[in-house]
Amino acid sequence: MNLKNFLAFVGPSVLAMLALIAVPLLGVAYLSVQSSYVKTEIVEVESKVPLFGGLTKTTIEKVPQPVLDENGNPVKVWEYVGGRNYDTVADPGGLVEAIRKDRSKTAEGQPTSYRQRMYGIYRDVTDVDFWGALEFTLLYIIVTTPCIIILGFVLAILVNSVVKWIRGPLIFCSLLPHIITPVVGSLSIYWLFLDNAIVAALLEQLGMGKVYFLKSAFSIRSLIILYGVWHVTPFAFVILYAGLQTVPQDALQAAEVDGANYFQRVRYIIIPHLTALFSFIILIHLMDAYRIFEPVLVFGSNLFANSLQYLTYYILNFEDNYSKAAASAILTVIGIVILLLPSLRRTYREQKGLI
Amino acid sequence: MTLMIPKQLKPVTNSFLGLWVFLAAFPFIWMFLISFRAPVDAFSFPPKLFAPITFEHFYTVWIVDGFWKQAINTTIVTLGTLTVSLTIGCLAGYALSRYRGNLGFYLLIAALVFRAIPHSVMLVAYKPAFWSMGIWNRYETLIIVLVAINQPFTIWMLRSFFTNIPEELDQAALVDGCNRIQTFVKVIMPVMWPGVITTGLFSFLLAYNDFMISSQLMSGDHMTMTAALSNYIFSDDSLAKLMHGVAGAVSITLPLVVLVLFFQRYIVAGLTGGAVKG
Repeated sequence: MNLKNFLAFVGPSVLAMLALIAVPLLGVAYLSVQSSYVKTEIVEVESKVPLFGGLTKTTIEKVPQPVLDENGNPVKVWEYVGGRNYDTVADPGGLVEAIRKDRSKTAEGQPTSYRQRMYGIYRDVTDVDFWGALEFTLLYIIVTTPCIIILGFVLAILVNSVVKWIRGPLIFCSLLPHIITPVVGSLSIYWLFLDNAIVAALLEQLGMGKVYFLKSAFSIRSLIILYGVWHVTPFAFVILYAGLQTVPQDALQAAEVDGANYFQRVRYIIIPHLTALFSFIILIHLMDAYRIFEPVLVFGSNLFANSLQYLTYYILNFEDNYSKAAASAILTVIGIVILLLPSLRRTYREQKGLI
Repeated sequence: MTLMIPKQLKPVTNSFLGLWVFLAAFPFIWMFLISFRAPVDAFSFPPKLFAPITFEHFYTVWIVDGFWKQAINTTIVTLGTLTVSLTIGCLAGYALSRYRGNLGFYLLIAALVFRAIPHSVMLVAYKPAFWSMGIWNRYETLIIVLVAINQPFTIWMLRSFFTNIPEELDQAALVDGCNRIQTFVKVIMPVMWPGVITTGLFSFLLAYNDFMISSQLMSGDHMTMTAALSNYIFSDDSLAKLMHGVAGAVSITLPLVVLVLFFQRYIVAGLTGGAVKG
């Protein structure tokens, strides 16, 4: 295919991506160094203040008033503010202060242990919304990634070893958590763990007492991570299951003849054969886990668990501050690029070799 | 079969599989069960497996609150996204699988980066831009935005399907006097249907499942089902409202379950599509 044909064929798709992904991204970058305020002017207002006996005194005051345009709306002025929005979001000054702060004594004057000092720093740093959001996003990625890989692999091996007719229904049930609308999926888990819902009620019946799942940061975070594992394990499972179908049978037979037991065959033949798939799953999961949003929204209260994507959404909708939201968005993009750099470089080399 | 699980492990592995199936399906089953119950029975102590059935929540949500309108909106948006996304995606995917230059490669890498960008980032730009252009709250806007967001994924997947079609087929058609467009439409597309169906399923899921963009770009009469769900879950804490939310959630889930039932093979093919080959 020649270049002219190529450009004609990819034209519409590239145009869509440029207009609605690349240009908005540039727009956000521009917005993040701007700030708006309502233009005001100093107006002299003449007012008569009544004194005694019908006398009035005329005073002239200088009052700031918003400038109105021809439709009567206040005029907004945009100005370049450099990194000020970034400062507001990431609060580097506070960060340095939190780290430098003298924590050698508690409030009562007791000397503190190393762990207490570290915990104090952690508390103060994650107190800033942005770092708190980053912390939970990374925690979510770090905990879920190994879980879904291991669980997905075990499931793939197990499903691969059961009789044929039962595999279809097994795959059907396994796919459900993955294709479900994330909001609905999060809600279906959320409803199980409400204070008076089935899980709490069953636990109470078992004599565990009343458990309030939605009242502590630890249990809310655990539930969000649980949801993540439940939602993404099927994806890892299906890919690894398909990968298992391509394992060369003669290698397995040869290993068996040579006396390798079951676990040795899994360790030395199956796992190396699936390496490329593991890194594919990790790459996709990194992208998706980094933008975790729906469960944070549903389990609510960014008090307990916040994510970067939720933070931008929150600033945009509830603080209604475009510039701050833009700065938070750009920091989010920088984060994902750093996170993906190793994977991107590998993909770059691989694909370069293919073409 | 040389990868049979040792016999003595069978009880353990079977119960593990059983447990997984239970955990995977239980939230759905429970949601489905309680959507037909009065609030007292849905959140009773101790929990009940059987309870009197009522259709009241579905009636309220669909008829009184007009969920059917949102269902129509979802249909319009999803089908629109599906059509446009597949049309321009097929063109691009085909070109990417046949073009040998570096440009195609850089395009794919750029698409990969675009795929990674969280949607709320773009939303920061969409909000002021669409507002000032006056194209807020319109089907076309949401459709074209969802199309663009899905393009990176779509062109990667379609490209891998097109790569599987031997290039000799193109060459034969070109020798016989077809131009590129004719080759694409008359020769390649007829053998591409499995790939188109698979990619279509995923475009459908991406559009149907989207919450953030849809709930932000559409309001009032134009809301989609998923976005409308937030009316029930974030408004107040009354149990009746929550039950309406459950009924709405079940209504959103059912089409997806049917979809998996009919297209399981294609979904598995799609999830493994680009990956298994390496």
